[in-house]
Amino acid sequence: MEDNKTLKSKIYTVSELNLEIRKNLESSYSDIWLEGEVSNFYFHDKKHMYFDLKDENSKIRVVMFHSNNKNLLFNIKEGLHILINGYVSVYEKRGEYQIVALDARPVGKGSLILAFEQLKEKLEKKGYFDRIHKKNIPILPNKIGIATSVGGAVIRDIISVLERRFKNFHLIIRDVNVQGITSSDEICKAIDDLCQYGVDVIILARGGGSLEDLWAFNTEKLAEKIFDCPVPLISAVGHETDYTISDFVADKRAATPSVAGEVVILNKTEAVENLKEASKKIKNLVKSKMAILKKEFNFLTSRRIFIKPETILNKFNQAAGELCIKLIGNMKRLIRARGKILSDYRQLIDEKNIFKRIYIYRMAIKNMDIRIISDIKNYLTLKKSRLKLILENLQGKNPVAILQRGFAIIYKEKEDKNIKSIDEVKINQKVRIMLTDGILNAKIFKKIYKKLEIGFKNEN
Amino acid sequence: MKIEKMSFEESITKLEEIVKELEDENISLEESMKKFEMGIKLSSNCLKRLNEAEGKIEELTRSEDGKLVTRELDLEKENK
Repeated sequence: MEDNKTLKSKIYTVSELNLEIRKNLESSYSDIWLEGEVSNFYFHDKKHMYFDLKDENSKIRVVMFHSNNKNLLFNIKEGLHILINGYVSVYEKRGEYQIVALDARPVGKGSLILAFEQLKEKLEKKGYFDRIHKKNIPILPNKIGIATSVGGAVIRDIISVLERRFKNFHLIIRDVNVQGITSSDEICKAIDDLCQYGVDVIILARGGGSLEDLWAFNTEKLAEKIFDCPVPLISAVGHETDYTISDFVADKRAATPSVAGEVVILNKTEAVENLKEASKKIKNLVKSKMAILKKEFNFLTSRRIFIKPETILNKFNQAAGELCIKLIGNMKRLIRARGKILSDYRQLIDEKNIFKRIYIYRMAIKNMDIRIISDIKNYLTLKKSRLKLILENLQGKNPVAILQRGFAIIYKEKEDKNIKSIDEVKINQKVRIMLTDGILNAKIFKKIYKKLEIGFKNEN
Repeated sequence: MKIEKMSFEESITKLEEIVKELEDENISLEESMKKFEMGIKLSSNCLKRLNEAEGKIEELTRSEDGKLVTRELDLEKENK
């Protein structure tokens, strides 16, 4: 054996080698795209994803860390065909190489799932699936509209269910392709036509199939058409496990087309049975009500008061009689009492001799009148005589009376003031002498001073 | 509302109400007779409605001038 030291090549430690390989791989495969099917998928703590990507012959480990997978719009699942972007690296601890995926995309069917989920999320946010928008499905539609393929088995299934439940149903079929590029538009058009024609309910029906097969029912256009449809609509697409966007937007989802036949119309036999049951029930209820009332009536009418009604009258009669007697007695007593008060007053009047007293007062008043009148007469006589005296006195002072006794009043020629002294006039001055019967115009021709005697005796 | 103008659903609901109301012992005789009469009317009206449908299968298509038309459809014959 050769000594280690004689070897020319470098001896690596395991770690060194793994590190070097890692560096080489990372630089050689720093940005690659890899397509394959997912297997052995393991989602550790819902954070880091570990899985294999494989093709027919080979597989490779993939890790996708949380920071890279958290923004994925779809879930990576077992069997899914995906395309990843990343770089090749080495897990040195085990010496295993793997791809660190930075991004992942679905391939083929996967992209439909992605689209489906994206649309579902979008419509859900817009409130298209909200319960508040769901219309009630009528239980007895006159006309049932259905958009489906006339050639398929689905329509036969539905019809056989309908025949079992409600023989005389009226079905309006609008034939459409339920698969293929044009199918979605055809279904939209069918909804319009059925609404325009006038049906009470619409069924969209299709049998089971792959996601691609059912794709016509997953378009945004159809979702909007269903949402705006004024007629209640049932989505009956695929098998029980298949879900389409139309299922979510429709007013009702039927798990299968046959189920649609059951929910779209009531079971006639059952309905007839229920109605008969109901009318029987109300008849019985009223009957028993009548019976109870009749019993009550009989019970009441069997009572004495109804058999011998006069007994109750007798009772009242008696009471009335008693009341009358009482009333008369009371009245009598009352009258007696009032009569007594009256006679008392009468006696009182007699006792006080009212009428005699009134006479006396009246006489007294008469006497008083006579006295007052004579007093007033005396007073007036007195006053009259005094007045006469005054008047006579006044008579003496009247200038006219004086003039009548022969006296005269002398005025200056042009003055109304009488002359009381001879000094007031001059010789030759003209004066007026007033007597009772007129005036004399005179002229003074001489003045003689002579004083009249004091104590000249007045005639009066 | 007139019974004839009520929808099938409304009639059924009303009928159920009447049954419940009649089950109430306190209902007056007069009232119960009224309810009874209405209930019987509703029930026979519903039965009539159940037999009203025409019982046919038609296909809706557009004619060449774009008008909506229907024709009777016999699926057995169609398939042959």
